[in-house]
Amino acid sequence: MTYFPEEVLEHIFDFLSSHQDRNAVSMVCKSWFRVERWSRQRVFIGNCYAIRPERLVARFPRLRSLTLKGKPHFADFNLVPHDWGGFVQPWIEAMAKSCKELEELRLKRMVVSDESLELLSRSFPNFKSLVLVTCEGFTTAGLASVAANCRDLRELDLQENEVEDRKGHWLSCFPDTCTSLVSLNFACLKGEVNLGALERLVARCRNLRSLRVNGAVPMETLEKILARAPQLVDLGIGSYNHEPNSVAYTKFRNTILTCKSIKSLSGFLEVFPRCLPAIYPVCLSITSLNLSYAPGIRGSELVKLIRHCHKLQRLWILDAIADKGLEVVASTCKELRELRVFPSLFGAENAAVTEKGLVAISVGCPKLHSLLYFCHQMTNAALITVAKNCPHFSRFRLCILDPQKPDANTQQPLDEGFGAIVQSCRGLRRLSLSGLLTDQVFLYIGMYAEQLEMLSVAFAGETDKGMLYVLNGCKNLRKLEIRDSPFGDVALLMDVGKYETMRSLWMSSCNVTLAGCKTLAIKMPRLNVEIINEFNDMEVEEEENLCDSQKVEKMYVYRTLDGPRQDAPNFVTRL
Amino acid sequence: MSTKKITLLSSDREQFIVDEAVAIQSQTIKNLIEDTVPDEDGIPLPVVHSRILAKVTEYLTKHANYKPHNDAAKEELKNWDVKFLGKLDNNTLFDLILAANYLDIKGLLDLTCQAVADLMKGMSVEEVRKLFNIENDFTPEEEEAVRKENQWAFD
Repeated sequence: MTYFPEEVLEHIFDFLSSHQDRNAVSMVCKSWFRVERWSRQRVFIGNCYAIRPERLVARFPRLRSLTLKGKPHFADFNLVPHDWGGFVQPWIEAMAKSCKELEELRLKRMVVSDESLELLSRSFPNFKSLVLVTCEGFTTAGLASVAANCRDLRELDLQENEVEDRKGHWLSCFPDTCTSLVSLNFACLKGEVNLGALERLVARCRNLRSLRVNGAVPMETLEKILARAPQLVDLGIGSYNHEPNSVAYTKFRNTILTCKSIKSLSGFLEVFPRCLPAIYPVCLSITSLNLSYAPGIRGSELVKLIRHCHKLQRLWILDAIADKGLEVVASTCKELRELRVFPSLFGAENAAVTEKGLVAISVGCPKLHSLLYFCHQMTNAALITVAKNCPHFSRFRLCILDPQKPDANTQQPLDEGFGAIVQSCRGLRRLSLSGLLTDQVFLYIGMYAEQLEMLSVAFAGETDKGMLYVLNGCKNLRKLEIRDSPFGDVALLMDVGKYETMRSLWMSSCNVTLAGCKTLAIKMPRLNVEIINEFNDMEVEEEENLCDSQKVEKMYVYRTLDGPRQDAPNFVTRL
Repeated sequence: MSTKKITLLSSDREQFIVDEAVAIQSQTIKNLIEDTVPDEDGIPLPVVHSRILAKVTEYLTKHANYKPHNDAAKEELKNWDVKFLGKLDNNTLFDLILAANYLDIKGLLDLTCQAVADLMKGMSVEEVRKLFNIENDFTPEEEEAVRKENQWAFD
């Protein structure tokens, strides 16, 4: 037996960063468990209801960085009611008591109150990084606490949150002594910004690398900021709407030329497209471009811009780019690894992309491995070509805007096309299906998608068999989310042990009945089986009267070490 | 640079004569030189076998005489480290970690700990136990509880 003193073991463990490796180490023997427990600084919890906060802090007292996820993913599509849960407050309370060393908190789809942010800002003397993604429940007053109290703050990253803007002055709450910011993103805030405070803050934070502002920051201010911060690597532009012959535009055009480090561009929330040539020189060196918030840029202007982006590895764009534009992407961006094409809110009919754009991309960008593609139509032939050209997909999410649309050429289901994707892309970890699909596609998925971890299904399949192919076949499946598909109790209950190997199962508008859910809950007591019944919350007695054979509207099942959650609203029934 | 020679004495009483500048990269040896009257045969290092001390002095000699001034030189030293590690079997690597820890040589400790961590990456629990010849002292119930907590909450 090799004996290492504890300090040596800890030193070795410091070089193990992945959760899987740390987990393996913790199970080797008791002394390794102890050393690992005292030395783990970064923890990821994929479901905030899988474990109690007290248990987290008891096991990892020297926690520095916590990543927590709350609501189910389908919340992004408004399928989860507002008050469903996912509160961060108990986590911050538990850590405030015994994990004073916390430096970083990353939250996704959680409810964050101003009270939580206030407590956070006062509880952890070394706190450095707050990342909130698709969170809700707080206002700029909470952000003001963080700005005022976190003296070493390096990162404040707000992505797609619903924030109530109470005071536009939260930016002026950063004390004059705050010079530590490396990353500041408030592009999702709707309200006014104290421009003077922003300028002064950027000027004194010499290490700032990433800055993404909201639409309230005009070009003049951004120009002044860039003049003080030529070191920026990641820039999110807010309002960009001046005449090309204006003084502001000329100044901006000259100043941005001095920003030679920019590798990532985003924003353009308000845009006057004739001003875009000013950023062409920057485009030559960027690797990441996100124009998904810039509906003001028309297809032809997108194309002119893209022609300069030879080094792009990641592109997020609206479908205004059209198939022709994607052909330009394919011939220009040879290094492209990730592409997301989002639907425009208006004017989508004539702009939408189709199978032609995707095929062009697959021919021109062989390194592509991550795709989200909202399109107008798709064909099997196109998907088969894409599968052949890009076998390295790890994430493939296709969304046809008309959900059950068949192959646009043959009117057949898209089973063969998706079958080709799963057969050819053996490293596929995430898949979202769309279009007319029969059970056959699930047969292919179960047969070939060995590495698949997350599957999203909508309006697909014919019988219980479809779901069973997936449950039986996909050994690495962690998350399965299904909506509007004809899978019922037989599929749900065939192999209930499977759900203990998965993080969660979501089914809404399927054929699962209350009786089926009850059976699952009885057979598997360590699973939380929750039914969301939004329309019954007025009638307390309704629960008793629900008929067992009645279909449940929404069911969410997840494994937990904690038993039924105590914070469920009355429209959530715990079985 | 001082050319004073230092004699190190391994646990099996083999002598290693090195420049003082080489030896004092080990904080432990530096302290021993300053604080103790040397044995007439040399400075005794009773927990380091000659087989391992040979490796330690090889590493220290290279790193004492090679102070990289630019990226190319740093790269060359890095390559030397990789080759140095490549020649070690696992047991020697483990013993070298213990020696680096005892002798308090930060560079060597980092290098060897990183190497062992790299060995463990992607391994199953069973494979790690086998690598280090460690006996599982969990009861089946305890092991199951840890496994469950790891998989259900922290994965």
